[in-house]
Amino acid sequence: MQNSEPLPQDASDQFLIQRYKDGNTEAFDALYRRHLPKVYKRIRCVIPEGDVEDVTQEIFIAALKSLSTFRGDAQFGTWLRALTNHKVAEFYRRRGRKQEPLLAPLSGASAQATGGAPKIMEDRIILQRAFQNLPENYREVILLRFAEDMQFNEIAEHTRQNLEAVKSLFRRAVAALRNQLEQ
Amino acid sequence: MIMQRQIETQKDDRLADFTDRLLGGETTPTASNSDEELLSLEKTLLRLNHVLPSAQLEEARVEQMLARLKARVKREEEERAARPSFWRRLFDFQSNPQAGLLIGVAAAILLLVVFPWVSLTDPGVTGTAGAGSAGTSAGVNLFVGVGVALFLLALYWISRRK
Repeated sequence: MQNSEPLPQDASDQFLIQRYKDGNTEAFDALYRRHLPKVYKRIRCVIPEGDVEDVTQEIFIAALKSLSTFRGDAQFGTWLRALTNHKVAEFYRRRGRKQEPLLAPLSGASAQATGGAPKIMEDRIILQRAFQNLPENYREVILLRFAEDMQFNEIAEHTRQNLEAVKSLFRRAVAALRNQLEQ
Repeated sequence: MIMQRQIETQKDDRLADFTDRLLGGETTPTASNSDEELLSLEKTLLRLNHVLPSAQLEEARVEQMLARLKARVKREEEERAARPSFWRRLFDFQSNPQAGLLIGVAAAILLLVVFPWVSLTDPGVTGTAGAGSAGTSAGVNLFVGVGVALFLLALYWISRRK
């Protein structure tokens, strides 16, 4: 019985996806456990604290729904990252339509509920707003280094650029972020 | 030109090195005051590092989130399964009698469009030459009228049965 076979700890994403397609739902659980920390950290960098879990769940539900049609042209991590960025953009589009004030989560109750000091929470929201105003490649290179802990050479490999170009892009991105924060 | 490029590359390297050290735990700027641009970028990175959340997700939290995800997926599947299909909802005249009436009227209009010579009003006698065909037309009128009435009755009967 292929579906009830135990999954090896070091199984590749591709293997787990295939097992999920074969009907083994535990394969998705393994993928979730493996990729949640990175997705969650990235989301926490760009989404207000009170919405982080909801958006994270939205991402994995979308992944679950389309996993059966995932062809494996890209790595699962890359595909999930693109899905994450799409959901973040969707979140801000919806939020923009509702005309909610961006600093809304700063209300005392909200800051206390998330366990963050109000000053840091306020700074984080200002930073998140600045992030959203950055060009996508600038935002991405900062998030890959800070949220996903990728080394510069790994980013170069991932983005298929040379190391020098990545470092240059990073410096321009930080400069753009600084300018956004000064506005 | 080449000199300028070398300077820029050095700045890129220095900022990248500073970032590596910062993420390794070092939290003091390394650029001298003479290089204001680099110093301001390092300060931006320090702020970024201070503000961005660094805590890792605990295993218990991961399992909690996974359980919530599964519960939500299950709930959505149950809701989808419990929701009647579009056609079932359309023909559920018991809870949606307006739909039944609308379908009946639409059917009557359709019949009149498909059989344009049919009129529900009496055309009257228009001349002796057409007297024969007028008689045929009246027969078709009666036939279609009875058909529409039977159709509406059938719809009503179906809706009463449910």
